Amino acid sequence: MALFEIKNLSFAYPTGKGRNVLENIDLQIEQGQYITICGKSGSGKTTLLRHLKSVLTPHGNRTGVIYFHGQPLEDISLREQSSRIGYVMQNPDSQIVTDKVWHELAFGLESLGENQKTIRTRVAEMASYFGIQGWFHKNVAELSGGQKQLLNLASIMAMQPDTLILDEPTSQLDPIAAADFLNTVRKINLELGTTILITEHRLEDIFHASDRVVVMEQGRIVADDTPKATGAFLKEAGSEMFAAMPSPMQIFYGVNEEKVIPEDCPLTVREGRNWLSKSFPDGKPVKSRLEEDTDLAEIAKPALLMKEVWFRYEKDAPDVLKGVTFAAAEGELSAIVGGNGTGKSTALKTICNICRPYRGRVYLHGKRVDQYKRGELFKHNLVMLPQDPQSLFVKKTVREELEEMVSAKASSDDNASPIDEIVDLCEIRPLLDSHPYDLSGGEQQRTALAKVLLTDPKVLLLDEPTKGLDNFFKLKLAKILRALKERGVTIIMVSHDVEFCARYADRVSMFFDGGIITTNTPRRFFSQNSFYTTAANRMSRHVFDNAITNEDVIELCLENENHEQ
Amino acid sequence: MRRDSFSEYHPGITFTFFIAAIVFGMCFIHPAFWISSVVLSTAYVVSIRGRRAAKILLILLILFLAVSLLNPMFTADGEHVLFLLPWGRPYTMEALCYGLAAGGMFVTVLLWFAAYNEVMSSDKFLFLFGRLMPSLSLVLTMILRLVPSFQRKMAQIVGARKCIGMVGDVDRKSRINAGMAVTAALTSWALEGGIITADSMQSRGFGVGKRSAFAVYRLENRDVILLGVMILLILVVLLCAFHGGMKTAYIPKIELAGTDVPYMITGMIAYVLFMAIPTALNIVETVRWHYLKSKI
Repeated sequence: MALFEIKNLSFAYPTGKGRNVLENIDLQIEQGQYITICGKSGSGKTTLLRHLKSVLTPHGNRTGVIYFHGQPLEDISLREQSSRIGYVMQNPDSQIVTDKVWHELAFGLESLGENQKTIRTRVAEMASYFGIQGWFHKNVAELSGGQKQLLNLASIMAMQPDTLILDEPTSQLDPIAAADFLNTVRKINLELGTTILITEHRLEDIFHASDRVVVMEQGRIVADDTPKATGAFLKEAGSEMFAAMPSPMQIFYGVNEEKVIPEDCPLTVREGRNWLSKSFPDGKPVKSRLEEDTDLAEIAKPALLMKEVWFRYEKDAPDVLKGVTFAAAEGELSAIVGGNGTGKSTALKTICNICRPYRGRVYLHGKRVDQYKRGELFKHNLVMLPQDPQSLFVKKTVREELEEMVSAKASSDDNASPIDEIVDLCEIRPLLDSHPYDLSGGEQQRTALAKVLLTDPKVLLLDEPTKGLDNFFKLKLAKILRALKERGVTIIMVSHDVEFCARYADRVSMFFDGGIITTNTPRRFFSQNSFYTTAANRMSRHVFDNAITNEDVIELCLENENHEQ
Repeated sequence: MRRDSFSEYHPGITFTFFIAAIVFGMCFIHPAFWISSVVLSTAYVVSIRGRRAAKILLILLILFLAVSLLNPMFTADGEHVLFLLPWGRPYTMEALCYGLAAGGMFVTVLLWFAAYNEVMSSDKFLFLFGRLMPSLSLVLTMILRLVPSFQRKMAQIVGARKCIGMVGDVDRKSRINAGMAVTAALTSWALEGGIITADSMQSRGFGVGKRSAFAVYRLENRDVILLGVMILLILVVLLCAFHGGMKTAYIPKIELAGTDVPYMITGMIAYVLFMAIPTALNIVETVRWHYLKSKI
């Protein structure tokens, strides 16, 4: 008997004007499977997942039945559902209820009224399994985002569910914490046999582990098959979703446009390497290099210059910035990459003069930032998009958000409002009357970007702009950034997203231990690294010298093929 | 905070100790009692806060001097006049002694509270009283978590707005507007977070039945022994107080229970032993570790 059986489920929100968010969904989920559900945002993934637990099911017009172990889900008591069906949501912070780690672990069991002894054993067991003994007595506020999400997972696993539903659990985490979290989910699936249903935009980390991949489009299931077969299907259908597939798969189909043999398709970097090795059996290919970039010129008049900047938060605290020297060229996109907690965001704050360095200087267009008059710095000069776009939202609609910025400038300008232009640039016209909190992550990001752009900055600082974005939104963001560059805006971006930096940045700097270690063009930068680099580079570095993006690898493969013929 | 072995005992023990110490500290103005109380509370605060105690001790010393030296300016009663104030009021020894006692009382109570704050964390308090009302204690726990998270979020919003030039420090009107905007943002964020928290609670079975309350504390043998000792000492102190061992009057004439009153001596010994418990435990622990190490 199937664990879940969804039969002909359709659903519409009461405010949705009769438009179905889910349309005739039929899905069977077997015990112990690992199922990935993917689709563009707004395709109904979350709505579908929420239907699998009665307390979370949204109100609206619904037809169809969901069976859990052969019984209609509504007939199963909430008590049984809460312990047997675990649900992890996106936001690590808001899901936590109590103030102590140990209390959070016990919360679900307390709700079920378990006795001390049972709770003690289960909590101890989960703390050991998830490796959280070290912070068992801590306040939850002291935890990092990754630890918080792991705690959410552990406190659900303490109730011993046989199904685990995860709705974009890693969208707020950095790549390393995210990979860690997804590995734990995989471990739960393998070692405990817990059924996993997961939606993710970081597909490369879970695609190969999935038994099945379900693709949703506008409330319908368009594909439901093994990862390889789903990939082949998406390629053939020319679906936009193909852009979200893992790099090895995209490269494979990029090279083999015609002859599609889904079984040969690599899913991981390891399989990708093997596949490339097989393509070039006699070692090195004829052409193994792409044309080098020209050397980085000395920046004569940097738009922004940091000179040996030292900073710490308190007198006795350790230094966060240890002599950062950094220059950004006018009209370029400079990316700063590096691990968590190395001080990248603090560096941006010193540029904004919110954190004042105790040694060293920051110059904007040749003038020290602390010598700009009050308010002048952020008027037509410099602006920063914070990591969490929500912290910029203060109004009820997107339109009001934007108007706030214009009226603040004393509306001395002529009436041809700058809003119109920015709205078109950021493609948010359809969203103008929505509440900012109702938008998806990518839409919020663009709204916040539009808001900061209304100050008409010459230098734009971005703190992790691709966090939580799926690949379509990343493409849109890249397009906006390119348009800004053409207008002469200097962009400095702090990011974990090596794929994005490799593709779109003009120069990349590595931040480590409170300083900039090295700066280079993306091609040189990433082809010299062996670990901190793109999937395409890791997969191809044994045959090609400097291919860093999927397109690079595809281009080199195709050229070599032509040589052979 | 340094490692404090007293705080590793059961929260019930800790709580009983502080209640007794604070109540006794407020009642006993016999010089032998208040002086020993000040000394021992200081010793404990130093043993848990280490160097960080210096600041609070300095402030309390100033407070102590102010209370005791100023008292005679307000009460002129007393037999022994030390000198006359410029405006002709007598400054008496009795009033000064009373001031010293009041100041000592004040300081000792504050010191015990300082130690209480370090030792009795909110979850210990909730553990003691939460089981009477699990739902109320859950609400308290959630509030304890929300307040700091509001502060953090507010700092984040203000910081984000600074970086887009929306500071509003030009005039009062723009400052008010900026404040309103931050409040509005904070409210939306809190409501949004509240919905998720509610979902998360419900999805983990909140409201399906009667809640139980889990606690990480267990009553061990050493807890029972220490509790027995503490109760015994408290009873002895109370008994002695009842029999006039702490008899004290400062004004108009100083009259004290002297060392010739057996209840005074017994009460004093019991009181000192009682207040020395936490400090002694810390010292014993340190000595024991040195001893164990030296045997290796």
